[in-house]
Amino acid sequence: MSDKLLLHAEKIDKKFGPTHAVKEVSLDFYAGEIHALIGENGSGKSTFTNMLTGILPIGGGTFTLDGEQIAPKNQVDGNHHGVAVIVQELGTLNGLTVAENLFLGDEDQFMKYGIKNTAAMNKKAQELLDGFGLSKIRATAPIENYNFEERKIIEILKSTWFDPKILVVDETTTALSQDGREKLFEVMRDVRAKGHCVIFISHDMAEVLKMSDRISILRDGDYITTINAADVDEDKLKTLMVGREMGDNYYRTDYPNYATEPQGEIAIMMNNVSVPGSLDDVSLQLHKGEILGIGGLSECGMHEVGKALFGASYDRTGTVELGDGTPINSINEAINHSIAYASKDRDNESLLINDTIQDNITLPSMRDMGFILKQKDLKAFAKKYADIMSTKMVGVDQYVSALSGGNKQKVVLARWLGKQSNILLLDSPTRGIDIGVKADIYALLAEMRNQGKAILIISEEIMELIGMCDRILVMKDGKINGQLFRSPDLTEQDIIAKMI
Amino acid sequence: MASTNTKAAAEVQEKKFDWHQIKSLLPIISFVAIVAIFAILTRGQLITPRNITLIISGGFTLMIATVGVYMIMSMGCLDFSQGSMMGLSCAVVCYLSQFNPFVAILGGMATGALIGLINAVFHVKGQIQSFVVTMCMMFLLRGIIAYITTSSPVMASTSLTSLATNTPLLVAIVVVVLVIAYLVLHFTALGSNLKAIGASESGARFAGINVQRTKIIIYIVAGAITGFAALINAIRVGSVTSSSGNMLETQILIALVLGGMPINGGARSRFSSVVTGVLSYLVLQRGLVMLGFTTEIQQLILGIVFVIMVAVFSERAANQVIK
Amino acid sequence: MDAIKKLQQSQWFGVGFLVVLTVLCWAIFKVLRPETFGSPEQIMTYLQSALIYAVGGCGMYFIVTQGLWDFSIGSVLVLSCLLAIGCSQMFGIVGLVVAPILCGVLLGFFNGLAYTVLRIPSLIVTVGLSLIYESFSVFAANWAGTRLDAQFNMFGAYPWNVILALIAFFICGFILKYTKVGTYINAIGTNELTAKNMGVNVDKYKFIAFILCAGFVGIMAVLYISYGTAQTPMTGMLSQSLNFTPLMGAFFGLAFKKYGHPVVAIVIGELIISMLFAGFVALGMPTTINNVVTGATLLAVVTLTVKRVKGAVVK
Repeated sequence: MSDKLLLHAEKIDKKFGPTHAVKEVSLDFYAGEIHALIGENGSGKSTFTNMLTGILPIGGGTFTLDGEQIAPKNQVDGNHHGVAVIVQELGTLNGLTVAENLFLGDEDQFMKYGIKNTAAMNKKAQELLDGFGLSKIRATAPIENYNFEERKIIEILKSTWFDPKILVVDETTTALSQDGREKLFEVMRDVRAKGHCVIFISHDMAEVLKMSDRISILRDGDYITTINAADVDEDKLKTLMVGREMGDNYYRTDYPNYATEPQGEIAIMMNNVSVPGSLDDVSLQLHKGEILGIGGLSECGMHEVGKALFGASYDRTGTVELGDGTPINSINEAINHSIAYASKDRDNESLLINDTIQDNITLPSMRDMGFILKQKDLKAFAKKYADIMSTKMVGVDQYVSALSGGNKQKVVLARWLGKQSNILLLDSPTRGIDIGVKADIYALLAEMRNQGKAILIISEEIMELIGMCDRILVMKDGKINGQLFRSPDLTEQDIIAKMI
Repeated sequence: MASTNTKAAAEVQEKKFDWHQIKSLLPIISFVAIVAIFAILTRGQLITPRNITLIISGGFTLMIATVGVYMIMSMGCLDFSQGSMMGLSCAVVCYLSQFNPFVAILGGMATGALIGLINAVFHVKGQIQSFVVTMCMMFLLRGIIAYITTSSPVMASTSLTSLATNTPLLVAIVVVVLVIAYLVLHFTALGSNLKAIGASESGARFAGINVQRTKIIIYIVAGAITGFAALINAIRVGSVTSSSGNMLETQILIALVLGGMPINGGARSRFSSVVTGVLSYLVLQRGLVMLGFTTEIQQLILGIVFVIMVAVFSERAANQVIK
Repeated sequence: MDAIKKLQQSQWFGVGFLVVLTVLCWAIFKVLRPETFGSPEQIMTYLQSALIYAVGGCGMYFIVTQGLWDFSIGSVLVLSCLLAIGCSQMFGIVGLVVAPILCGVLLGFFNGLAYTVLRIPSLIVTVGLSLIYESFSVFAANWAGTRLDAQFNMFGAYPWNVILALIAFFICGFILKYTKVGTYINAIGTNELTAKNMGVNVDKYKFIAFILCAGFVGIMAVLYISYGTAQTPMTGMLSQSLNFTPLMGAFFGLAFKKYGHPVVAIVIGELIISMLFAGFVALGMPTTINNVVTGATLLAVVTLTVKRVKGAVVK
């Protein structure tokens, strides 16, 4: 790392509606460093880099790269300014050749009088591939001929062949095998050796400590601090990430005295359930009066657990049944047997986003209201449960699309509260929700648990699992990789160890 | 701080609501405007009892068939096979009416229901856009109608055609259909379910609505309703030629759009669109005829009105992909 | 197994598959009706009509690749044909060729404008506009008549029809391979939002696709009117039937896109379809049910080529 300042971020700011995702973050990045950016989910790190790379418009503040202020309009514009990004999801497009994908949006170098020199483009692409040790990949072949890992590596090449001054690696490693990771690390070291800078986002603390020179920490959109990687260990990083004030008082404070075996009767269970691409022979039981947590990396298949229990998975094998043996094979059966589900994809799956609060709350309960429905009753019903959840709204005629994330989730919960559901399957219940509403939801869940309801929380936020759950199942690669019981001594480290 | 925020949010909301309120009144306003304009242009001729009777009696089949399409469109789907479906059902009604009028009614409805079922299977199970399926079906059925009417039109028995002048009966039938549909859509869960599917298919699925089954049933029901409308058509026209039911699907679409139906269906679908829309369409069409416009100019004007009204009533979310 | 996989990934697998399908189709009808089907002269006739529809299919390909629809091309075709008749009387062969292409480009411009400005689904907007274009066709027929003067029907027979069609195919292939349009419409078709992120001006390329589509329909009109020599105006949505055959070709192109030769697939696809029609006629199918075959074939082609994903939202 040299002393040369490469990129200066000045009071970068971003709001999504009522959510303040990044709060006036100022950061310096130096030439020849790998600079890790860490924080919990929702801490704003990806939002920050997305503004730098042109994926999101800048909400406020300035980026100054090499003395020049930049505000990329899109990813390719970012590339032209010397900023490149490798994202978590697949960024290559089917229907295009490898070469077309490599140069998508950047064809002008091959254009003459509006005609694209396709031969030259293919030739250059093949040269780049060969130089990258990928000579088995043909530039002219359609990209769908290659597998996920190969496509990810083609993306790495797409983002780095033009020697970007800043390379953002946004949680790419979770999608890669060991070989792929080594390849990526090699590229990152290369960038550093050329006197450029890598911004490295990862949840894997060991990886962060191994690869980076300096580490900056974000928490709830705030910049916390920057430290030298040599001066810290994983525990120190954890403490910095979670902070102290995200206090225990939001969570449950009771520690019931069963340490090894859940009590209460089984509410619902899945036996040897597999779903292609996400679950591999999973069995679990959820008991009455229990909050069961499921944790793991985002792609470990845990989100499918909720869908499978709710009867919503496609191509499921194995059985899902209630404690008394009643099978659950469709959403309808699930709802009729008092099962509720809140999806991680709140806007598309939990809610009818372009519909009123009233319709959203009453929809599953209509079947209990008799054959003839009166608008007045429906309205009163919706209002009652929206008010119990203290939803901030103009009226139940208001469209859900106008609500904040927290209030949307309140509408979802109000729906199932109204349905008197006894089994709650909640996927990422507090995702993108501000602290105040979070506390409300936690209190509600604790109360429901005491009423004897069975609650499943699927969450990417480890602290939430530790704080709320009686029992935590950790998943990895579609299988359950370990079980942990509620204890004041339980640490994030215990869970992470089973995730990776 | 929090309270002022809420207040500001509420104000924004109110502003939006105003616009939607105007939108929800627009179909009525445009109906009144259409009537007024043509009444003036025809120097009052339009609103003479004779013309009013003509306008209303021309719209029985359209009104009934529109009820079924309203249900389909509130789910966000489309049906372009209605016209040809009507033609074929009508042929069945006419043919069977020579044996027994009640068998004829059932036969017509069964024909429509069967076509609706085929549409729905291709759309739902084959995952092909409803518009494409029903467009193909329209040509398929047009060919069949042309084939069965090659040598001579299919004639209805006099037991049906003798009812043609019994306007009160026909009006009563239309009103009964409208009232039943209104009651079912407003006082059972069905209406909400349909709008929920239109608003968000995946959201509706996770709220416990069996989207596929609902879609199939509604296509069948809408087909049966059109099959029933074919009965009225048989009564009024008395025979089926190769052009029976031509353009009906377009008329339905224009009528619903005039009635304020969002083209993507969803929560802002109103059953009143059926009535206001069909009446607006009938007056518009009659008015254009009375002013002596040729068919092509009528079509030109209808086309322009259609595009404008679709644009006005479409719901567009930010960053939405429109195909 | 590896050899089969390699063969399937080969660029010419798709074309080979289609050729086999064509021969098979020919053979079946030939066996059933040896006297009335499939002589060399008849094959030339099938090819001739296939060429005409394939030009329109090339235009539609730009649209369907992006997941859009254009249900106005039937009316664009009718109007272009009538303008070709009119302008050939005034400007001779130049009028015959230039007028329909200009007409196509202009109507494509309106389609694109209405779609991008009004932001309503493409199939609705094009159906609405086709009502308007259909009414124009009546005015055009009143002005120009409905019969092409015999001296101008050179594009209705070999070799000029082949030459013009080949020029159109060449342009289509060139645009797909050697301009940004080809890459970008594929990118938009796969994932519009990702494409936007890569700096693709989505609205602009959709607009261009509408213009190209109707422009190719203009070229198709030159061939179509020269072959048929007469065109009556169509109203009341009747022109919709003319959408179908080009649409089928475009779907063939889409289905075989991954083998890299969509234009070839469109042409062979149209040949198969025109053989099917001729075959059914040879089997004694009355011409009145031509529409049945058209509707059923398109439905079959779409059903066979569409990719089904569990839980996908289809309206």
